[in-house]
Amino acid sequence: MSAAPGPDDGRLRRAFLEESEELVQKLGETLSALEASPESRELVNEIFRLTHSLKSEAALMGYTSLSGLAHLMEDVLGQIRSGDLALSRDVLDRLVAGADRAAVLMNEISQSGKESESGAEDVVTGLSTLIADRRRPVARPASNGAPPAGETADGNRETPFNEVELRRIAEARDRGESLVRLTVTVTPDEPMKFVRAFLVFSNLEQAVNVIKVVPAMDGAPVDDSLYGRTVFYLTAPLGGDTLKDAARVDQIASVTVEQMDYPSGGSPRDGSGAPAGTEMTGRTAPAEKTSIRVDTRKLDELWSFVAELVLHKAHMSRLSDGVARGMDAESIREELVESSDSLEKLSSGMQQAMRDTRMIPISIIFNKFPRLVRDLSRKLGKPVDLVLSGEDTEIDRSIIEALSDPLTHVIRNSLDHGLEFPEERVRLGKPERGKITVSARRQGGTIVIELADDGRGLDTDRIRQKAISLGIPGAAALGDAEVRELVFLPGFSTKDVVTDLSGRGVGMDVVATRIRNDLRGDVELVSEEGKGTRIILRLPLTLTIVNSLLVADEAQMYAIPLSDLDSTAKVPAAEISLQEGGEAAPWMGDTISLYSLAGLLGRERRPREEYFAVVLRHGESRGFLVVDELIEEREIVIKPVDDLVNPLRLFSGVSVLDDGQLVFILDTSFIRRDNF
Amino acid sequence: MGATILIADDLSFMRMIQKEILTERGYSVVGEAADGIDAVNKFQSLNPDLVLLDITMPNMNGLEAMRKIFSINPKAKVIMCSALGQQSLIVEAIRAGVKDFIVKPFKPERILSAIEKALRSA
Repeated sequence: MSAAPGPDDGRLRRAFLEESEELVQKLGETLSALEASPESRELVNEIFRLTHSLKSEAALMGYTSLSGLAHLMEDVLGQIRSGDLALSRDVLDRLVAGADRAAVLMNEISQSGKESESGAEDVVTGLSTLIADRRRPVARPASNGAPPAGETADGNRETPFNEVELRRIAEARDRGESLVRLTVTVTPDEPMKFVRAFLVFSNLEQAVNVIKVVPAMDGAPVDDSLYGRTVFYLTAPLGGDTLKDAARVDQIASVTVEQMDYPSGGSPRDGSGAPAGTEMTGRTAPAEKTSIRVDTRKLDELWSFVAELVLHKAHMSRLSDGVARGMDAESIREELVESSDSLEKLSSGMQQAMRDTRMIPISIIFNKFPRLVRDLSRKLGKPVDLVLSGEDTEIDRSIIEALSDPLTHVIRNSLDHGLEFPEERVRLGKPERGKITVSARRQGGTIVIELADDGRGLDTDRIRQKAISLGIPGAAALGDAEVRELVFLPGFSTKDVVTDLSGRGVGMDVVATRIRNDLRGDVELVSEEGKGTRIILRLPLTLTIVNSLLVADEAQMYAIPLSDLDSTAKVPAAEISLQEGGEAAPWMGDTISLYSLAGLLGRERRPREEYFAVVLRHGESRGFLVVDELIEEREIVIKPVDDLVNPLRLFSGVSVLDDGQLVFILDTSFIRRDNF
Repeated sequence: MGATILIADDLSFMRMIQKEILTERGYSVVGEAADGIDAVNKFQSLNPDLVLLDITMPNMNGLEAMRKIFSINPKAKVIMCSALGQQSLIVEAIRAGVKDFIVKPFKPERILSAIEKALRSA
């Protein structure tokens, strides 16, 4: 973003590309799945989430065509989700066309850093009519007002800037601002269109640098109907929200924000308004996806290991020569033991160094927050102090890239729903300014990220009420902790009045899915009513290597990540009781569920008098897992597992040990699934 | 409790309609004023979340009342009510910082959505 230009922009961009390409691909796949089983609510939810994420990411990078398209699809999915729109063949076709178009745009962006601004209007119209037909019949561009002079429907005509305007634009470019075209359409029934547009103009003037307005705003209007659609050319630090906020007054039908190329050289034209994704990085080079930036100190460290390895190889060949020359067995044995020791150190050192090259500081994400908070704070009228700490904490690239969205979402939630308005805070005896704390730290093999606010906290009673009204079974009897867990369910939102900030109930469920499923981490929500909310994310340092306990059951080896392990125990058969929902046994003064791999896989457990068990943990939940044998602790390299061999989703991956044995890596979330 | 609103209009019928619309939506109409001076005094004493201010009123017109209100609280949320033909007055009011305007005659939903947006704005 131009707001924070710096060496991180390339990374941000790469992260965007990788993530969005995957989103687009998943979107296509999931839509195909939906075609096969159109009644699946889960798939609809998933597609909704995908479009929502795609929209946010594309908008963040200034790709308005892509984000606009994703937004339309999200709206359509939202209506299907709410039951306002039936999922007919026709609707499905239009969604598929949308996904195809998204793939085309994504491809363009990845090739050239730019997306086409026009084209495939039929796809867009196909989707927008689905929404326009039902929800907002007035939300279409006003057709009663003639397009203002100098502007055509596709907005591609030259709009000459005069010399003064060009100079102001050049100054803005030097400040690192973006050139933006904001098009505002007033609802057709507004009797004073000029004044309406003027209100937007006045709001914009307070926030940004307005260069030119078409039709002009100075003087009394000749014809009020000309202002049905007004185009503002302005420069501003990037961030669509600030701009749209200015237009957030009544009687506005639509607002579009397009980022433009700066007029080149002295030629006073608007550069055809192509949204310029690359503008943000100040470069026009095509995206670099296959290369990464690595601190040279990390490379030096890696190199020193390689140098040692070369020495080691020399030593080994000397040893092998010695064997050929008939060196005595005892000294060969000694040297081999020594050599094997140092090789082990070397290999773990290299592994660590290699892993470090994948690590980048979390400040890459944290740096975006001050601006986000400032903008939202101003927009909502909630003054707030943001306190960041632990920005230096390093975390694996692949994790960082997937973290940005969920963290942003949590912060938005805090500002939007968590923090009270200043008057209310004063009335409650709290400081007038709210406080949001974001911290990161490394704790053993995990990264802990905490986001806390001192707002109103979760109203568990209200959530419970909502759960009851939604017909969630057993909702009335749920404890507070379980109620808090409900906010992670898809489509669950207690905010009855939906705001444009946190979206339509998309929110914590996206966060939870991302953290728990994609990142193999955990998310926990701690809240005290009236005092605030704290969201704690626990993430693995890296997604590829994990410390695990190897266990065996019926001659098959399984690995349990140490982060999912509480302890080991022996469970006498006599202590196992049959509870509602399965077997259980006492543990630390509590009774927790007892599982066996055989049982989970649908077989009988072999009866014994006493069982070896590990105590698994997933968040706050605990459960015994009975195994035949505990083998050892080991670092294993995770490879993805195909869902075909993993229909129950019991495993998060597989690993091949050095002796060629295959181990399945257990996904302990089944404890939670069972408890709910 | 809904936001507190002060209604200022010289026509008691207009005030009645507005009060009915607002009360039904859960807003709390904390005061009514029949002229500009009354409006400014009540704003000062009641400190409402939002003021609905008619542009043409006796004694002190809406624009002048608006300026006095902003001098009491620069962040006051004011929505102007006007009739067609008063465009230039509203433009003046916008320059001074009103959040929105409503053109009479209005539909209930217009007044409600304008208020809702204004209350949510910074």
